[in-house]
Amino acid sequence: MMRPRWRKVLSDLIGNLGRSLLVVLSIAVGLFAIGILITNHRVIAEDMVTGYRAVNPANIMLVTTPFDDDLVERVKSVKGVRDALGVHKISLRVQTVHGDWIPMDFNAIPDMGTQAINRVHLLEGTWPPEDKEVVVEQSKLSEIGVGLGDWITVELPSGKTRRLHFVGIVKDLTLGAAAGGGGFFLAAPQGYITPATLPWLDQNEAWNTLYVTVEEGNDEAAIRQVAQRVRREVEAQGVLILSSAVRTSENHPNRIYVDAVVGVLFVLGALVVFLSGFLITNTLNALLAQQMVQIGVMKLIGARRWQVAGIYQVLILTYGVLALLLALPLSARFSYVLLDYLANRINLQLQGFRVVPLAILVQVVLALAVPQGAALLPILHGVRVRIHEVISGIRPSEAVQTPHWIERLQKRFRGLPRPLLISLRNTFRRTQRLILTLITLTLGGAIFIATFNTQAAIERYIQQLSRYFLADVNLTFEAPQRIQRVKNDLAQVPGVGHVEGWAYTRADLMGEGDQVLDTVQLIGVPIETTLVTPILREGRWLQAGDRNVLVVNERFRATLPNLHVGDTLHLRINGSERDWVVVGFLQLAGQNLGHLAYVPYDELSRQLGQSGRGLLFRVAADRANLTLAEQEDLARRVDAYLKGRGYNISEARAGLSVLEKTAKGLDVLTNFLLILSGLAAIVGSIGLAGTMSLNVMERTREIGIMRAIGASDGTIRLLVIVEGVLIGLMSWILASLAAFPISRLLSNVISHAIFNAPALFAYTPTGFLAWLGVVLVLSVIASLLPARTAVRLTIREVLAYE
Amino acid sequence: MLNPSLSNSAPVSAATPSPIISLRGVKKAYHTPAGDFWALHGIDLEVYPGEFLGIIGKSGAGKTTLLNMISGIDALTEGEVLVNGVRVHDLDEDRLALWRGRTLGVITQNFLLMPTLTLLENVLLPMDFCGLWQGRKSVERARELLRQVELEEHIHKLPSAISGGQQQRVAIARALANDPPILLADEPTGRLDSGTAEGILHIFERLVAAGKTILMVTHDLSLERRFSRVVWIADGRLVADRQAALG
Ligand SMILES: Nc1ncnc2c1ncn2[C@@H]1O[C@H](COP(=O)(O)OP(=O)(O)OP(=O)(O)O)[C@@H](O)[C@H]1O
Ligand SMILES: [Mg+2]
Repeated sequence: MMRPRWRKVLSDLIGNLGRSLLVVLSIAVGLFAIGILITNHRVIAEDMVTGYRAVNPANIMLVTTPFDDDLVERVKSVKGVRDALGVHKISLRVQTVHGDWIPMDFNAIPDMGTQAINRVHLLEGTWPPEDKEVVVEQSKLSEIGVGLGDWITVELPSGKTRRLHFVGIVKDLTLGAAAGGGGFFLAAPQGYITPATLPWLDQNEAWNTLYVTVEEGNDEAAIRQVAQRVRREVEAQGVLILSSAVRTSENHPNRIYVDAVVGVLFVLGALVVFLSGFLITNTLNALLAQQMVQIGVMKLIGARRWQVAGIYQVLILTYGVLALLLALPLSARFSYVLLDYLANRINLQLQGFRVVPLAILVQVVLALAVPQGAALLPILHGVRVRIHEVISGIRPSEAVQTPHWIERLQKRFRGLPRPLLISLRNTFRRTQRLILTLITLTLGGAIFIATFNTQAAIERYIQQLSRYFLADVNLTFEAPQRIQRVKNDLAQVPGVGHVEGWAYTRADLMGEGDQVLDTVQLIGVPIETTLVTPILREGRWLQAGDRNVLVVNERFRATLPNLHVGDTLHLRINGSERDWVVVGFLQLAGQNLGHLAYVPYDELSRQLGQSGRGLLFRVAADRANLTLAEQEDLARRVDAYLKGRGYNISEARAGLSVLEKTAKGLDVLTNFLLILSGLAAIVGSIGLAGTMSLNVMERTREIGIMRAIGASDGTIRLLVIVEGVLIGLMSWILASLAAFPISRLLSNVISHAIFNAPALFAYTPTGFLAWLGVVLVLSVIASLLPARTAVRLTIREVLAYE
Repeated sequence: MLNPSLSNSAPVSAATPSPIISLRGVKKAYHTPAGDFWALHGIDLEVYPGEFLGIIGKSGAGKTTLLNMISGIDALTEGEVLVNGVRVHDLDEDRLALWRGRTLGVITQNFLLMPTLTLLENVLLPMDFCGLWQGRKSVERARELLRQVELEEHIHKLPSAISGGQQQRVAIARALANDPPILLADEPTGRLDSGTAEGILHIFERLVAAGKTILMVTHDLSLERRFSRVVWIADGRLVADRQAALG
C-alpha cells in the first residue's frame, strides 16, 4: 500500500488536473525548445562535417585548357596527392518547363559508378547515367522544372538542340565548393553525363577541370603546398590554368550559413534555458503559495519539516518526470522536422536520425534539477510557515500592504473605475511574485520579438542588395562584344533605356612567393555607372582618374584579416601579375559569394586587351520599377532580338531574379528564424498562460470571499481580466525594451557568420504588435478560465478548503 | 446530562494527582504595527488527566491564543508550559511537531482536512508522519476510528463530499490517530447546528470516559454544564475556575 503522504502527492497530481497540466506544460515547453535547439545545433555542426568528408571532396580544383588522362596520372604521382580526377565541365543552355532558356552546368565524369572524388548521393532514379542520359542535382532542379523520366532539351553552341533523358536525381554536397564560382546559391543547375555523351553534344572528350584530393585534406596550408606542386606539373605539360580553388575536406561550401544557424541556435538556447528556469521557479512558487494552509495542517498533525519538504520534492520530481516524458520524444521528433528543412536548403546530408546525448542531458537536468533548485526556497519558506497564522486564515502573504503609490494613485484618480483600482492593488500587492512573473513573461516576449527583428534585419539587407542589381536585364555573352554595337542594337528593342557594357574576368589572387591564394572575380564597371550604388563599409567607391584600384567585398576580410584601405593586392590576369590598390570595402551578399571586386572598366578592359568591348551588359528599362514579370518579358525580347542579330548569348536574366538568387542563402536564414519565432511563441505563450492561470488559481479563496460579500460573477471576472491584462501589458512593455539587445545579439551572430562584420540591424513593428496581440488574448483567456472555475465553486467550498 | 464516568476522573477524587498540563505565568504579546498587543497577561493553569476542561470567554478574550501556547504552535512571550512532563517551548520545531503529533490531537473550528485526500487517508496521515502505526495496522486503526465517529461508509469520499458535522468528526478521528492522551478543541462546534454539535459533544464525553484529557474552547455558555471543569477567560486573564456542579 502506498504511504498516505505519497497518496497526497498522487492526489495533488490527479485531483487538480488543470493545475498539474499547467505546471507540467510550463516545465515541458522549455525542455522541448531546448531539446530542439541543442539537437539542431549538434546534428548540424556534426553532419555538415561528417557528411561533407564522406563524399571525399576535392581539395584542389583547377579549371584549365583541355588535358587528357596522361596528365591525371602524372598528377596522381605528385608528392602529397592522394587521388586525382579529370572532368569535363561545360555550361549549356537548357529549356525550362516555361520555355525559357537558362544555363546549366554539365559534368562529364569518367567511371561514375566508382567515382572516388566528389561522390554524390542518389535520391531518386538511377546512378550513374548511361550515354545520352542526364542525372540532375536536386537543389536547383526546380529552376528547370522538368520531372524525372522526362527529357531535357539542350541548346548546343551551334544552335542545334539535343534531348537528354532525365534518369536520376542526386545530391551533390560539393556544389559551390570552388568558391570563386560564386557559391552554392549562385550555382547553375548541375547535370551529370557520361564522357561518351560529350561528342553528341558537340564537345570534345578532353578534360577541362581537375579535382585533386591530398593526403592531409584538413590542413589548408598543406593543401596549398600540394596545389603549388600540382600547378607546376600541370603547367609543365603545357596546360593553362584558368582558375583554381582549394578547400579542406571538412569545409562544407555552406559552412558560413551553418555557422550563422548554429550561432543563432546557441544564443536562443541559452536564453530559453534562462526563460525556462524563471518559468519553473515562478510556477512552483505559485504552486507552493497555494499549499500554505495544507503545509500548516500537516505540521499541526505532527509532520516534521523534512517530511513536508519531501512531499513537495516528490511532487515536483513527478512533474519534472512527466514533463520530461512529454518533451523528450516531441523535441526529438520536431528537431528532425527542422533539420530536414535546413538540410535541403543548405545542402547538408544528414547522417540519419539519432539521439543527441547532450540534448537529453540538458533536458534531464532542466526537468529534474532545475525545478528542485527553483522550488528549494519556496519549499524552505513553506515549511517554515507559522501554523497559527495559516490555520487562522491570516496568511502573511495576504497581510502585505498596498504600496503607497497605489494609494496615492487611488486618491489622485478618484474617478478611476473601482474594478481597475482593486485590480491595481491586487497586482502590486505581492511584489516579489509580480517581479518573477514579469521576468518570465518579459524574457519570453523579448525572444519572440527579437526573432522578428532579426528577420527584418535580414530582409532589409536583401532589399539593400538590390543596389547592386539595379539593371532590369543582365546579359552575359559567350564572348566580349563591342559595347557601342550592342548599344546601337539594343536601342532598337522597345522598352530598353540605359545600357552599360561591363568587363569581367577571373584573376588569381597571389600570396607570398608564387602561391595562389584564391580566385577573384573582377567586374569592370564604368566610373560613371548608374546601375550600381554600392554599400560601402569602409573607404570609397570608384572615381574618375582611378586606374589599378579595387573595391572589394567582405570575403577578402576573411581571407586577409589584415587588409586595409590603401593596401596593395597582387592579381594575376591572363598570366601577367599586376598590383592593385584597395580603395574600399563593400558589403555584398556575404562571404559565400567568393572574392569579388569592382574595378574601373577602362583599366580592366585594357589589361584584357578588350578595350571598347564588354562581356556583361546591364540594361535598364526606359521606365523605373519594373516587376519581375515585366523584367522577364524584357529579358526575353532582348534575348530574342540579339540572337536574331547573330549574337551568342549565354544568359539574359531579369535583375530581380539575380537578386533573388543572390539572396537565397539569406532567405533560408529568414525562414529558419520564422520557425524559431514560432517556437519562441509557444514557449512564451505557455509561460504566459500558465503564470496567469496560477495567479488566479491562487486567489480562489479571495474570489470566494468576494462572492460571499456580494460581488457578482461579472464583477469578479472583470477584476481578474483587468489584472491579467495589466500584468500582460507591463510585461509587453518590458519585453519590447528587452527585445532590443536580444535582437542586436542575434543579428550580430548572423552578421558575423555571413559578413564577418556587425552589419545588420532593423526593427519591425510586426514582432512587437504580434506579441501584444498574443499577450492580450492569452492574458484574458488564461485569467478567465481559472476564474470561471473559482466562481463556480460554492462559497462554502472555497472558504473551507484551499 | 453528564457521563457518570466523568466524575471518576475528576481531579478532586484523585489522591495526589499530578497535572498533565501546567502553565506558569504565561504571557503573550502580539507585535503589531500599532505596537505590542498583550493577548495573555500571565496565565497560571493546571489541568489534570481525565479532565474535560471548558475554556469559556468572549470573542477576543485570548482563548485561541491560550490553546496555541499549550500546543506550541505559537511562541510565548513569557512563562512556561509543561505538557506531559515536557517543556513545550524548549523543543525545536521538528521535535515539537513529532511530540505534538503523538501527544496532542488538535481540532479546529474550520476542520482543516486535506482536500485532495479521502477521509481514510486524512486519518492515516498523522500516523504516517509520527510512525507509531504503519502499513496494514494503521489502516485498520483508521477504519476503526472512523467507525467510532460513524463514518464507516464514507471512508473513500473526499472531504468536500460530506457535511460540516461529518467533517468535524473526521477531524476528531484524525486527532485521535496517534492515540494522544490530550485533545485540544478550539470551538469544534462553532460552525455546526445544535443537533450536530450535540453529537460531537457525545463523542468527547465518551473519550473523556475512556481516559482522554480534553480542553475545549467555546463561547457557548449553555455548554458550561457539560464540562467537568470550566475556566473563564477575559482580556487575557483567567477570571474564574470551578468544578462542574455534579448531578
Ligand atoms: N496574529 C495576531 N496579531 C495581533 N493580534 C492578534 C493576533 N492573533 C490574535 N490577536 C489578538 O489577540 C486577542 C486574542 O485573540 P484570540 O484569537 O486568542 O481570541 P479568541 O478568544 O480566540 O477569540 P474568538 O472567540 O473570536 O476566536 C484578540 O484581541 C486578537 O485581536
Ligand atoms: Mg479563537
